[in-house]
Amino acid sequence: METYYYSQFNHAVVHVALFDDVTNAAAIRSRIVQAARNLGVDGNTEREAVNFAFIDARLISSSLHLQTAIYQALLSEAQGQLRTKTVHSEILWTMNPTNNITEAIRRYGVSDESTTLVVVRVDVSDTPDLQRRMCDIVQGCMVPFQALGQMTDWSIIKKHYKLYSESALKEVQGNLDRERSIIDNIVVSSVAMKNVMT
Amino acid sequence: MPGRRCDSPLKNPSRAYIALGLEGSANKLGAGVIKHDVDGSTEVLSNVRHTYITPPGEGFLPRDTARHHREWALTVIKDAVVKANITMHDLDCICYTKGPGMGAPLQSVALVARTLSLLYEKPLVGVNHCVGHIEMGRQVTGARNPVVLYVSGGNTQVIAYSRQCYRIFGETLDIAVGNCLDRFARVINLSNDPSPGYSIEQEAKKGKRLVPLPYTTKGMDVSLSGILTSIEAYTSDRRYRAQGEPCEESEDIIRPADLCFSLQETVFSMLVEITERAMAHIGSKEVLIVGGVGCNERLQEMMGIMAQERGGLVFATDERFCIDNGIMIAQAGLLSYRMGFQTPLAKSTCTQRFRTDEVHVAWRP
Amino acid sequence: MLSSLSSKPPTQQLLQSADLVSQGAEAAIYKAYLRQFPTSGHGVDDAAFEASEPVLLKHRFHKHYRHPSLDASLTRQRIAGEARALMRCMRSGVTVPGIRMVDVNEGVLGIEWIDGKSVRQLLPGGAELDEINELEEVDEIHENGAADPIGDYGVSGGRTVHMLIGLYSSSVDALMNMIGVEIAKMHLADIIHGDLTTSNMMLRKQTSDLVLIDFGLAYHSTLVEDKAVDLYVLERAFASTHPDSEPLFSEVLNAYEKRMGKRWLPIKKRLDDVRLRGRKRSMVG
Repeated sequence: METYYYSQFNHAVVHVALFDDVTNAAAIRSRIVQAARNLGVDGNTEREAVNFAFIDARLISSSLHLQTAIYQALLSEAQGQLRTKTVHSEILWTMNPTNNITEAIRRYGVSDESTTLVVVRVDVSDTPDLQRRMCDIVQGCMVPFQALGQMTDWSIIKKHYKLYSESALKEVQGNLDRERSIIDNIVVSSVAMKNVMT
Repeated sequence: MPGRRCDSPLKNPSRAYIALGLEGSANKLGAGVIKHDVDGSTEVLSNVRHTYITPPGEGFLPRDTARHHREWALTVIKDAVVKANITMHDLDCICYTKGPGMGAPLQSVALVARTLSLLYEKPLVGVNHCVGHIEMGRQVTGARNPVVLYVSGGNTQVIAYSRQCYRIFGETLDIAVGNCLDRFARVINLSNDPSPGYSIEQEAKKGKRLVPLPYTTKGMDVSLSGILTSIEAYTSDRRYRAQGEPCEESEDIIRPADLCFSLQETVFSMLVEITERAMAHIGSKEVLIVGGVGCNERLQEMMGIMAQERGGLVFATDERFCIDNGIMIAQAGLLSYRMGFQTPLAKSTCTQRFRTDEVHVAWRP
Repeated sequence: MLSSLSSKPPTQQLLQSADLVSQGAEAAIYKAYLRQFPTSGHGVDDAAFEASEPVLLKHRFHKHYRHPSLDASLTRQRIAGEARALMRCMRSGVTVPGIRMVDVNEGVLGIEWIDGKSVRQLLPGGAELDEINELEEVDEIHENGAADPIGDYGVSGGRTVHMLIGLYSSSVDALMNMIGVEIAKMHLADIIHGDLTTSNMMLRKQTSDLVLIDFGLAYHSTLVEDKAVDLYVLERAFASTHPDSEPLFSEVLNAYEKRMGKRWLPIKKRLDDVRLRGRKRSMVG
């Protein structure tokens, strides 16, 4: 698990963890759906239990990509300009190139088939047992962030960002490292400038 | 290399010099007499002007303007000479506007200048109209080496002095700012007396609502024709009320005053912006506004705020010197005459196109 | 004190903690860090690297002479415009800084921090280097064993100190070539930079990429005129900043020509026109 501090956002603390070999993606997804429907006191506890952003790790091109999405979501929240209900869902929305919320959650959120997940928690202060709580929900193996590189599915990212005929990529054809670093730069920049894209 | 302060090439004269200046490049006919004294001081002996004013909704045409200048030339010049308390024989030279400006009016005044030159055997000095504005502005305000914003009916330029040349850093890519304001004043039928720009300024004071207009700066240049088209389009907007009676705050209407306000706010912001860019570029803290639009107090105010934030100063003149006049032609002409410049009769033509940066500014270090 | 500080909008707090790099007429440039990492403890494996990655913040501050709503909408437009120009460049393979953060409410654009030197600093005449007299310069070269400020950046292989002149000019040529190629790529994508100078291009230290920067005046245009003026502005910048730079700029144009292919001819013709008349068209009074 990694922790980022943001003094400019009222000292917000953000925890992120990467899970591999996740076996209960479908269960996580239905828990999130249930928690959202359940409005009573039970709902509150259940909502707190799943109060994370669950992101399909295949769609994340780098930790900078993730950090950039978190930053823009924190900024929208601080300015009272969230497009979605919570800062966690805002992270998913920020990652998607279009403005469609449902599409963002379907694409970037946990799906029944997910086997790799990034879990993000935005907090006002450090919560000591957070790592345990993450592991309570996700059945899988928490791995260091360097492993992200092997999980990224570049072809889906290229599809979502319509990166086929770009001259930037034609130029580095055959050089996979260069190609990926260019895609990552475009993806990170797109996330950062999403509010002014159109 | 240690920086050596260059001495001014212009030495104090051994005797007093007196020049007559004649201006008629647009709809103002001006005559003025200036005196440069042995102590280096400058004195305006007279500054007379007569403006050709057209009815609301009409601009001035070259032919009619030239006729106005011909009809008034003798009266205005005589008046200037009498007020200066001199005779034509006291003059050292006769200065006239060579350009830029409207062809026919320029020619009518040049003809008068040539005739006087032959009659009284006085040398002629052809003057660049823009340089006239700059030199008079410097003289009146005492600004030493300012960035100059020259804004009038025919010109929009950001100018800075460098190595005996007034270099143009930025300018309009299409129409001049004064032209833009005047044309809009005609569209909404504002009075041309004393000037359409003045009418716009008064009307703008009543405006509250800022309507969106294109904001077209391009580096240090501006483009204004699109803004004119855009502001004109508002007069056929269904929210537009030509009568412009006072209204409730909440009412969704656009009055002529709002349009004048929006036009000034937008266009002047652009001008201040390119001026600031030029100031930053050359590291200057002074700005001088010259030309007819330069008397606009809102423009002066905005420029003042900008200059203040840069720790600098804005210099502007009132309508006597901002609006085209004869004295500025006399001033710039006498400066170059004292450096040995004269315009031989055979070359005493005028030209509609005459860029500010074509003039050799021999009198400055 | 702390509570009054935290009541400020986040981006203002960020600016407050950032280092001012330069102050222009319209924007201030800062070096800042968007997040902090724990100094010790859990999961900091690659934290040390990330923490050391700064961003460059470009703050377009309020212009008080402008009507507030006009000012706000302009700032928004310009930040959006600059970000879009950068994105268009990125997608077209022009090497530019990546975007890291955008806050239109506060007028701040955060981009990748480029570690390196501007071309202006690398060429003779641009740096303070030219104030040192030649003898001293040679001494310094012997001491450091590196004759070539550009060679240090990996643009050409550093050989021996004795080949000073030849080595130096070959790496300069390589640099000029890179400039020509990047500008050509940008123009092929119909982006006009609007302010091409040797200060607005950097040689990145780690990778020796030539990076075009400062797209504050950039715009989209397909016009030959705009591309020609873009080149002319750079030519003037070379001439005014670097003495005897004609061969340098012609090297830039050679590379540009190669890259532009058949599109070069109309631009060349227009560039010749622009050179004759200057940047400005002749106007009626």
